[in-house]
Amino acid sequence: MNTSTVEIILTIIHSLFFIYAFFAIASYVVLAIISAIETEEYMKKNSFVNYKEILSSTISPSISIIAPAYNESLNIIENVRSLLSSHYVNYDVVIVNDGSKDDSLEKLILAYDLVKVNFLINQQIPTKPIRAGVFKSTNPAFEKLTVVDKENGGKADALNMGLNISNNSYVACIDVDCLLLENALQKMIKPFLEVTEETVIATGGVIRIANSCVIKDGKLLDVNFPKKWIEKAQILEYLRAFLLGRMAWSRLNGLLVISGAFGLFNKKIAIEVGGYDTNTVGEDMEIVVRMRRHMEETKEKYKVAYIPDPLCWTEAPDNYKIFISQRNRWTRGTIETLRKHRKIAFNPKYKSLGLLSYPYWFFFERLAPVIEVIGIIYFVILMALNEVRWDYAFAFIVLAYLFAVLFSIVAIFSEELTFHQYKKKGTGFKLILISILEPFALHPFILYAAIRGNIDYYFNKKKKWGEMTRKGMAKAEK
Amino acid sequence: MESYQYLIEYFENSPPIIQVVWVMSCFFIIIIVILIIYFKYLRGHLRKNEKIITKHQKEYESYLISFLYAGNEEEEISKDQQTIIDKLKSCAVDEFKRRIIVSTLLRLRNEISGEMAEAIQKLYFQSGLISYALSRLKSKKWYVVAKGIRELTQFHVKEVHDEIVILVNHPKKEIRKEVQLYLVTLFHFDGLKFLDVLQTQLSEWDQIQLLEVLQHFEDQELPNINSWLKSTNDSVVAFALKLAKIYNQFEVKDVIMELLAHHQKTIRVDAINVLSYLQVVEAKDILKNNFDKISQEEQIEFFKLLENLCESSDEPFLLAHVTHENFEIKLSALKILKKLNIEKFKSLEELSPEPEYNRIFKFLAYNQL
Repeated sequence: MNTSTVEIILTIIHSLFFIYAFFAIASYVVLAIISAIETEEYMKKNSFVNYKEILSSTISPSISIIAPAYNESLNIIENVRSLLSSHYVNYDVVIVNDGSKDDSLEKLILAYDLVKVNFLINQQIPTKPIRAGVFKSTNPAFEKLTVVDKENGGKADALNMGLNISNNSYVACIDVDCLLLENALQKMIKPFLEVTEETVIATGGVIRIANSCVIKDGKLLDVNFPKKWIEKAQILEYLRAFLLGRMAWSRLNGLLVISGAFGLFNKKIAIEVGGYDTNTVGEDMEIVVRMRRHMEETKEKYKVAYIPDPLCWTEAPDNYKIFISQRNRWTRGTIETLRKHRKIAFNPKYKSLGLLSYPYWFFFERLAPVIEVIGIIYFVILMALNEVRWDYAFAFIVLAYLFAVLFSIVAIFSEELTFHQYKKKGTGFKLILISILEPFALHPFILYAAIRGNIDYYFNKKKKWGEMTRKGMAKAEK
Repeated sequence: MESYQYLIEYFENSPPIIQVVWVMSCFFIIIIVILIIYFKYLRGHLRKNEKIITKHQKEYESYLISFLYAGNEEEEISKDQQTIIDKLKSCAVDEFKRRIIVSTLLRLRNEISGEMAEAIQKLYFQSGLISYALSRLKSKKWYVVAKGIRELTQFHVKEVHDEIVILVNHPKKEIRKEVQLYLVTLFHFDGLKFLDVLQTQLSEWDQIQLLEVLQHFEDQELPNINSWLKSTNDSVVAFALKLAKIYNQFEVKDVIMELLAHHQKTIRVDAINVLSYLQVVEAKDILKNNFDKISQEEQIEFFKLLENLCESSDEPFLLAHVTHENFEIKLSALKILKKLNIEKFKSLEELSPEPEYNRIFKFLAYNQL
């Protein structure tokens, strides 16, 4: 190859990197603007909604909270108590003990006076069989509780069992260790009941990080900012993702994912599409994409709604090993879902789902870490060849870093002007500091986990869920 | 100075794209610094505001309590009360303070009843707060109008009925909802007349809220709901069906029977549900004869009706459906048969080799209904 050909190739490579970065940044800016508009409208609309009326109404629709549990013995009693303390009137709680090897079931039986009952299950979705049986409480105080003990089949299988067991029209699928605020269900059900011209198929809620918060008897008493860098950085990351990203996608009706930690679904449609896919580790994203695809194919008007209020609090990984394992799984889940539904991509038949949501997820979620790593490798090669134009490199690195910091600060502002959860003195400074340091404290690990996820997806097919060791939110420090 | 000079030279000699990048970086730095300073101010301001609100709330609470106990039988308004009214009037000029006064008044009014509640109501008028709420109705901003109506509802201001009722078909659903709540909260069942002219859809959320408000007025008489059951607005029909069920409107059963042929499936399903609740036996034969023509949701709802109104004469129909492909229908048919004729039910044990059928049969055979 002669010098001019090499130069042309290099110019093409540089241009592609530049175009990609330009569109990624432009999409973030556009999403931030849309999210600001949507947030303002949401706050106005909800500033005078009286949730008490729906709360006490006996004709309000019935909801089942489905919470799969696997080896959750440490916190299961507290967690179930939290789920039973909702102020919504028409709801029940289905705990699916997914073949736990610990004493979760025994603890539940003792704490909630459970007895085995005969229960006829409508097996609309195939699942692993029942193990010890279905249990109900003899104590009227816990009449809303049902515990199902089944053979281990994974989270998706356990959720499918919950869908089969539930007799209600709506199901809230949540992680058993999540802490739901007492008014969470009435806020989440509102979008389903408000619409008249279309069907809401699912509502996603914001997930907030409960590490270091004070929790007693399943209730959030005090919001604290955690001490560990990894926890602080995740708080910032969640604020960015939920208050800027998903809020904007909600306005565009383009949400592809509802967090597995807390989402409310129209049960009829969830069952129509076959429930959760047990062959993916990203079952939360997959079911939403499948439900959307189903609605597009049946030409029904629909919406995936989103509630930005801080309703669900959960424990986030507090060490890098667990964090990497979690993000590795998220990456594999995204790849599996996008691959499975590749028919949607750029397909005008699926309208904004195929022309906007899917391409965005593919280019800026699925490919982003891969392109970033390719860029780093390319940069290292150029350095080895002494071909780096340092004036260019330095200027663009500074610009990219400043944009990242600015974007995080905008997310912090969004939180401050809306839900203002971190009220304590000094927390503001910590939030700003973490927005400056997060690109070094967390981003490299996110990138590493994403690359590991890609490698595991293609070369280690046997890998499924990683272990998540729980410390227990009830023991969070004061 | 030298390094400054060097930077200028570097910038001037850089390619245009690098110049643009550095200009953008400087711009970002300036914005970040401004935002950080503003952020500090904002947090301080929010904290200060919370303290001010608490302080004002205490102040206004003490005014209100003094007002309640400063009255005498000789004058309609005592001198002390007039002083308090004047103070509140002057505070209410400031929007921030006005909001606190209104919320304090509301909180206090919800905690007390009888004459004292009336006195608070009176104070709302005398302190001129009502005029601010009325002026909100003329605002171009929808949420200001909606909040105005909400306030007038909370303070039971019936006098503005005519101004509010014209907003019943407002394009913004939040305003429509507040109008509906105003009418029903203040004029009870009479307020439901807006259903005659409602052109937009009444969402399920709106319906639940209206029914919740109505349930507070038990001794009132429900107006004739015939016209709403015949409405061309499907949501009004759905709402009327809920009213028929909650208020046991057996006299409208014929109109509800007509709804079995309604063009919308959800209305037909709701109609079966209400007929079942009202125990309208005549509906049974109509549905039985049309069973194969109706949707599965209607069929399931019909079987729920049968569970309620079954007779021995229904046995052949039930027998024809015990092996239905739908789980709920199969379960319902077998359950009703067991209730009607236990011997007949027992004889069905070997009827089908299908595992689901056998699972249902065994469950019903070994469990009490």
